[in-house]
Amino acid sequence: MVFETNYKLVYLMKLEEKIQILADSAKYDVSCSSSGSTRKNKPGGIGNSNLGGICHSWTSDGRCISLLKILFSNDCCYNCVYCVNRMTNDVPRASFTPDELAELTINFYRRNYIEGLFLSSAVLKSPDYTMELLLRTVKKLREEYSFNGYIHLKAIPGADYRLIEEAGRLVDRISVNIELPTQDGLKRLAPQKKKESILGPMGFINSQILEESAAYKRRKKSRIFVPAGQTTQLMIGATPDHDLSILRLAEGLYNHYSLKRVYYSAYIPVATHPNLPALSGPPLLREHRLYQADWLLRFYGFSAGELLNETTPSFDTDIDPKCQWALSNLHLFPVEINKADYQMLLRVPGIGVRSAKRIYAARKVCPLNWESLSKIGVVLKRARFFITCRGKFFGESSMNESLIRENLVTKNKSAVKPAWEQLSLFSYLPGATKLPNDFSANITGEL
Amino acid sequence: MLIYLYDGTFEGLLTAIYQAYYRREKPDSITTGSAMQTHLFGRTVQITTDSKKAEKVSQAVREKISPAALSNILFAFLSEQNEATTWVYHYLDLGWKMGKNVDLCLNHNPVLKILDLARKVKGERHRMLGLIRFRRLNLKYDIYYAPYKPDYNITGLVAPHFARRLADQNWIIHDTGRNLAALFNQKEWLLTEFQLDKIPSPAANEETYQKLWKNYFNSVTIKERYNPKLQKQNMPMKYWRYLIEKN
Repeated sequence: MVFETNYKLVYLMKLEEKIQILADSAKYDVSCSSSGSTRKNKPGGIGNSNLGGICHSWTSDGRCISLLKILFSNDCCYNCVYCVNRMTNDVPRASFTPDELAELTINFYRRNYIEGLFLSSAVLKSPDYTMELLLRTVKKLREEYSFNGYIHLKAIPGADYRLIEEAGRLVDRISVNIELPTQDGLKRLAPQKKKESILGPMGFINSQILEESAAYKRRKKSRIFVPAGQTTQLMIGATPDHDLSILRLAEGLYNHYSLKRVYYSAYIPVATHPNLPALSGPPLLREHRLYQADWLLRFYGFSAGELLNETTPSFDTDIDPKCQWALSNLHLFPVEINKADYQMLLRVPGIGVRSAKRIYAARKVCPLNWESLSKIGVVLKRARFFITCRGKFFGESSMNESLIRENLVTKNKSAVKPAWEQLSLFSYLPGATKLPNDFSANITGEL
Repeated sequence: MLIYLYDGTFEGLLTAIYQAYYRREKPDSITTGSAMQTHLFGRTVQITTDSKKAEKVSQAVREKISPAALSNILFAFLSEQNEATTWVYHYLDLGWKMGKNVDLCLNHNPVLKILDLARKVKGERHRMLGLIRFRRLNLKYDIYYAPYKPDYNITGLVAPHFARRLADQNWIIHDTGRNLAALFNQKEWLLTEFQLDKIPSPAANEETYQKLWKNYFNSVTIKERYNPKLQKQNMPMKYWRYLIEKN
């Protein structure tokens, strides 16, 4: 009886409130890209996708809005400690119906507010039940509304593979969030989830993609199973894992599961629990370093083992990962800008893919000197310590690790962290809650 | 000082370039009448636009240089910067010698300028694909109207994208700064001069969706990561005027 009235209340809840609740719960998913798919519009249909992706707005935290990122429901039957939607958390609950959500998506899309839909959900009743609801929404959009825009669907861990397979033929991208990088963390913070239930679907999706790509090559047919591939998300700072283990996991996912992207999400303290660390704020700098390293893996030909090892398992807070690598491999530098091959140019700190391509192109016509480097738009703030132009070195200091390091760090004033942190009365710090032994003596004033 | 005056169209510019070679002259500047600075010892030549001559030049650019060079000069032209047209002439001058390698000569000023302008125009076009906002109007026909005010003349560049994407609705994309608009009737689009004194009243459910969108926009912000500087970097304030979520 109670359940029934409750259900009615939820059903009657206004669309506006639902959006508020369900967008609020979805915002911790960082993935928002709409790239990688070339789905075309059909006659009489609406929407297409753009290979490079399009951002439609930016919120006041500076993150882009590309897709309508929203949960189908936040009424979860799991109790993961780190999650804002856990069963025992006292937050308002809401669920959409497939019709409501499809209507909302189409109307936002017609006004060019969004690039498509990113549909995720808490586990409502059971994984299969939830996955079916998501599938029904997507089907409605594609078939009834003939919507050809981008759809990113979250696969619910533990759902039947047949449902995932069917969804994969309708959407552009599927993702399964790993969140906790190690099994130990999973056990401590999300006891109802199993490593197999997360990696299983990822492996399945990957095998389907590979199978389809082989068929695609044979029959020259366009690939329809998740054309934009799959992605995942790792949470940073909720478990005591080092950067090295996170980066190794990411590398493994790129190499063995051919993931398009691994997203890193600085853990935002939404709950207090003895198994969770007390943080003064999200570890944003650490997240930033991991993204830098991720780019080095994907576009610069680095491997995780080169960037970090057991003796230095974490990234430097003062300098970026590429500088860190270059400083520990100074014997490779300086490199001659007119002779170094493309792969080596990419490894010079401060030279990115665009600069490396420009250097590579411009030096075919005539040799480059210092002036022409800055003229073609290469930023030399960091690069000058690691390069020579026509044999001349412009780094001012000698090739000495500590000297170069000093130059790299002092130039970057915004990275200086304040020497203080806001303490909370109930911070979970070892020893912080213990009373000093002479506590009673302090009160009574006795010695 | 030799100055070529053209009519401000892309065809006019290509005709001026044709004339420069045909008349064996080296103009110091190619410009429109309104932007011209008169010189005491200057000589001006009025160029009459001729679509056949323009076609010959664009054909030559495509074949003797590269299709990419043609789109680069078009983009640079649409930037409407004062000097752009003269840079186009110098860029092509080098292009005839270098062929498709012209874009590698990054230490030549004309190449650098043209590529830079083209990059800026392409960048604004891409940004606008996301930032244009349609409003459904309360008219006899179902029309979606989008006012915007870009720095560069990109209406003709964004229209094909929306013609493919929003193929089943009638829309108007209105550049309020230039009084230009792209009109689409579910079949084809055209670019025309366009002026509106007052935006017609919105359709019945339009305000509901605007409210829902604002609501969504505020709900997805993570307060702990508040970073308005980054927001403005990605979405400069000059574009906020026509954004639903920022008004």
